[in-house]
Amino acid sequence: MMSKASFLERRQTPKESSSVTIFITALAIILALLFGSLLFLPFGVDPFKAYSTMVELSFGTLRGIGYTLIKATPLIFVGLGTIFAWRSGFFYLGFEGTILIGAAAAVWIALLTDPEGAIGPLPRLLFLLLVFLVSFVAGGIWAGIVGVMRGKFGGNEVILSLMMNFVALFLVNYLVSGPLRAPGDLPQTPRIPQATILDFIIPGTRAHSGILLALFAAIVVWFVLRKTTIGYKQIVAGLSPSAAWYGGINVGNRVILAAFIGGGLGALAGMVEVLGVHFRLLDGLGEGTGFVGIVAALLGKLHSIGVVIASILYAGMEVGADVMQRRAGVPSSVIFVIQSLIVLFILASDILRYYRINLSKLFGNDRGKKTLEVDSST
Amino acid sequence: MVPYIELRNINKRFSDVNANDHVDLSVNMGEIHALLGENGAGKSTLMNILYGLDYKDEGEIFVQGQFSDIRTPSDAIALGIGMIHQDFMLIPPFTVTENVVVGLDEEGSSPLLDLDKAARSIKALSEQHGLDVDPHARVEHLSVGEEQRVEILKLLFRNAKLLILDEPTAVLTPQEAEGLFEVLRSLADNDHTIIFITHKLHEVMNISDRVTVMRDGKAIDTLKTESTNPRELAMKMVGREVVFHIDKNLRKSGECVLQIENLHVDDDTGYHKVQGVSLDVHSGEILGLAGVDGNGQSELAQALMNLRPIKEGNIIVNDVDVTNISSSLHRSAGMAYVPADRRKVGSVSELSVALNTILGNINHYTTAGNLIIQDLQVREHAEELVERFDVRPRNLTLDAGKLSGGNLQKVVLGREIMHEPSLLIVEQPSRGLDVGATEYVRRQLLTERDRGTAIFLISAELEEILALSDRIAIIYEGEIMGVINSDEAVVEAIGLMMGGTRLEDLPGYR
Amino acid sequence: MGLEQLFTSAFLITWLAASVRLAGPVLLAALGEIFDELGGILNIGIEGTILFGALTSFLISFLIGNAWLGILGAIIVGIISNLFLAWMYITVRANQVVVGIIFNLLALGLTSYTFRAVLGTQARPQKATMIETLDIPILSDLPFFGPVFFSHSIFLYITIALVFVSGFVLYRTKFGLKLRAVGEHPRAADTAGINVMKMRYIGVMISGAAASLAGAYLVLGQLGIFRDNIVSGRGFIALAIVIFGRWNPYKAALAALVFGAADALQLSLQIFAFKIPPQVLLSLPYFLTILAMSGLMGKAVQPAALLKPYNKN
Repeated sequence: MMSKASFLERRQTPKESSSVTIFITALAIILALLFGSLLFLPFGVDPFKAYSTMVELSFGTLRGIGYTLIKATPLIFVGLGTIFAWRSGFFYLGFEGTILIGAAAAVWIALLTDPEGAIGPLPRLLFLLLVFLVSFVAGGIWAGIVGVMRGKFGGNEVILSLMMNFVALFLVNYLVSGPLRAPGDLPQTPRIPQATILDFIIPGTRAHSGILLALFAAIVVWFVLRKTTIGYKQIVAGLSPSAAWYGGINVGNRVILAAFIGGGLGALAGMVEVLGVHFRLLDGLGEGTGFVGIVAALLGKLHSIGVVIASILYAGMEVGADVMQRRAGVPSSVIFVIQSLIVLFILASDILRYYRINLSKLFGNDRGKKTLEVDSST
Repeated sequence: MVPYIELRNINKRFSDVNANDHVDLSVNMGEIHALLGENGAGKSTLMNILYGLDYKDEGEIFVQGQFSDIRTPSDAIALGIGMIHQDFMLIPPFTVTENVVVGLDEEGSSPLLDLDKAARSIKALSEQHGLDVDPHARVEHLSVGEEQRVEILKLLFRNAKLLILDEPTAVLTPQEAEGLFEVLRSLADNDHTIIFITHKLHEVMNISDRVTVMRDGKAIDTLKTESTNPRELAMKMVGREVVFHIDKNLRKSGECVLQIENLHVDDDTGYHKVQGVSLDVHSGEILGLAGVDGNGQSELAQALMNLRPIKEGNIIVNDVDVTNISSSLHRSAGMAYVPADRRKVGSVSELSVALNTILGNINHYTTAGNLIIQDLQVREHAEELVERFDVRPRNLTLDAGKLSGGNLQKVVLGREIMHEPSLLIVEQPSRGLDVGATEYVRRQLLTERDRGTAIFLISAELEEILALSDRIAIIYEGEIMGVINSDEAVVEAIGLMMGGTRLEDLPGYR
Repeated sequence: MGLEQLFTSAFLITWLAASVRLAGPVLLAALGEIFDELGGILNIGIEGTILFGALTSFLISFLIGNAWLGILGAIIVGIISNLFLAWMYITVRANQVVVGIIFNLLALGLTSYTFRAVLGTQARPQKATMIETLDIPILSDLPFFGPVFFSHSIFLYITIALVFVSGFVLYRTKFGLKLRAVGEHPRAADTAGINVMKMRYIGVMISGAAASLAGAYLVLGQLGIFRDNIVSGRGFIALAIVIFGRWNPYKAALAALVFGAADALQLSLQIFAFKIPPQVLLSLPYFLTILAMSGLMGKAVQPAALLKPYNKN
């Protein structure tokens, strides 16, 4: 590769700078959108018009913003769970399952506060506190099982968490077909009592207070990881288990905590979905969210603020895709393609950092000592 | 006479470093040619280029007078060139035979393996050259010396006529090294050519016919070994007068700071690695633990800080039994530890220098019941450290992994020293460091010793042990073979102990 | 019906036959994954590749009516999709778990989109032309062994044959030795003159062919239809089978049989009026995988270079 007459020269060490990162991210998004637009064509949809409509609908109208925030909320929770778990070195992939578990726990508590339920109506604040705790702990224990297997027995959390997703699926399927089923044929629970439904916060939209909780959680996660000793230990355990061990940090315990917190956050995604959107537990709740949230976290570079922005972006895309399906018949699953391509392109573009564009060779000007070197950072 | 191998004007850059700066080298057939230089001199880079693991930016290679464009190890192997690295390139779960034949694929040969036939050839080859080894043994069960023999067999099996060895004695005892030299001499007598990379002057004098000295990427000089001497070579290697002896100003040692009593420790595979070690270290003294890497030193050091469970025995520091306290409490008991692997164990490469300075001691820089980190305190501490220990660059937010070996070691060592420990355990302190950094680290250790710190020095570099220690203990297969005062130390005796002879069994011991 | 019937021959035969049948696709995928992992690559994207193979074989068979072309199409698509995966894993050297997970999402999106785009939104699932079951003459008439082993889809026979082919290639050929070397100690393999990247690319593409063939197996050999969740984690179970089978094709076959048995139990026990909720039995294979991967059953010694990208510099 040394003496080839190519305008792409290989560097020895990758160039790292924030300007390159932003350039690459933008390029990746554009490329993914271009690829996605290919999928619109068979439906006679003009890609440019489609995208601008999507932006307008998702972010341009009040209603749209409301829907975007609704969809973003569970993504943010899953993304935060991903941040906490993955940065601790715990590659948890079981958020699909924690959403279901959190949703099931929330519905169960909510139904119990029905006037005819075992607990009966509770003061609002008490109910919210209770449902939050139960949901979080349920998800925490659910993921914690995998955490213990990894932390204490060295089990492989990647496959374990993926398997647990299916177990959760069957568990919820069982609950809504059996013990918690509402009268009737549909696999779903009865609707939760009015008193348990989350407040709408933006008049004219269905946006619920879950988004506020999500944003608050984002701040908490940032604070814990950046400013506390717990966060320091988690991060060191994730970056270098051997250095962590040297520094007196018990990596196994760190993993278990990562699992608990990650699972708890994932469960909150399920909680807000039932208390704010669906108002009951049903089959197929939150399908895909558990993975899109991970992808959003990756797009957000595993930082709180990045996750929030990426989640809102992805949520906006999903809202737009729903509309496109209704209006033009383009299957909404096209959005998964775009969401995944964005991050795949970003990952792939990492190798661009190893190259430097040599303009003089590009224009065939090999004579003379002057070489115009343009870095890929422009 | 046409040289067997000739390298002309080899130039190789790695980003802004010129690893090989217009290097010329010529090696004659049947000679043992030493390539001498410090870490980073460019010796390995040059040989990697000759072997096809790397590609030159400029220059030519001539093998037996023919221009040769070597781009991959396959090209080199086809030309009869073979290379043995410092870390052995052997696959542990494979047998000796599998290791020797893997990758061998002559034109037109069957795609099927014939391991039995290969095993027979290997056995014959090993007997022919005095390289005794069992072709059916799995490499993971072999000793280091046996592994090296397998590496040599690999080369001979591929009809290598030129053998390049990169620091081959790094993991051998002095006796094993002699055994290797005998094999090399025999090979050279049988029409093989040997290039031998080393930084050890006595090896050059011992075995080579000619020596090329490299420094800072340049080939400084090529000399006939019999017409030079260690001092001259050292000067060329380093570029200035080298002090062979740091003035230790022998001090009397004080109270017993560390007492290890009958320690037994297992390693990660459950093997009984440390078998009944008893030692003591006093304030104001450096106790050097000599021994070839892998004889239990690491496990011993880790057990002292309770980073590894102790099967049996006691550790007493300043009269306090610390055998079972948690590793974070060790530091408050006055112990500090600089591990052998500064990049993977002693620091977190992707974390800033500042945050690395609190590793192992977070609670000193916290508030609110040890929950919240005090950024200001951390920064002040880090600033003090980089000032005092001259860490460059002075950038606290830089990822620690971007520091050079020497500067990173200053951070790790500085961090431990700044806690003013009464006991400092240091493992392989100057491994991988250049001359300047090595000198700095050793001076720091002596300074600490003069301040009254007890230092437990573990090093596989005998020369380092001799340069720094007041007393020397030798470990072999988890047991202490003997402890002697440094002024009584004789290299041959230590070498024998490193190879398993107990002090009391040494010839001449009274 | 009671406990005695449980042990009658009829139940056992049905159960074992179903076990062998259900083990087929996962085993095929696992065999491919062995070539990934022995080379040092953990390919989580196998789930997505199976999905690609399932859709391709369904569409071709449904639209053209020829199942064999469907199989061919699936294999081609599998190799191409894994070429992309291989590029990400080996040349770009991105994190293998991350790439795999995102790839699965991509596969879900693409297959779901394509299925709906081609078929529109149909109410009833459409059936594709399938490959018939093959009763091996004479042998399939044997009592017990006949129905259990010799009355299966041709896919199964191919898969069993591939078990032996894999074992031969991995342990008796130079290619196999080179591949295993690459997964244990890539630097050593490199210095021995082996092209590490090329070996790994080949491994990943082999697994692409196998995984997508497994998808075709599911559609054209077993179910006859396509739906979004047709793979349902079988790719991940294949990952577990590889580990359970200690990266050995023969042991993997046994492991796959165990998983198939768990899967089959759900079908067989439903005959009986046991009060076990069907979901419990449906989740048995997943529970088994969890048990296998939990670490409670001891640690498997994996290829030493697994998950570590190789950088020549």
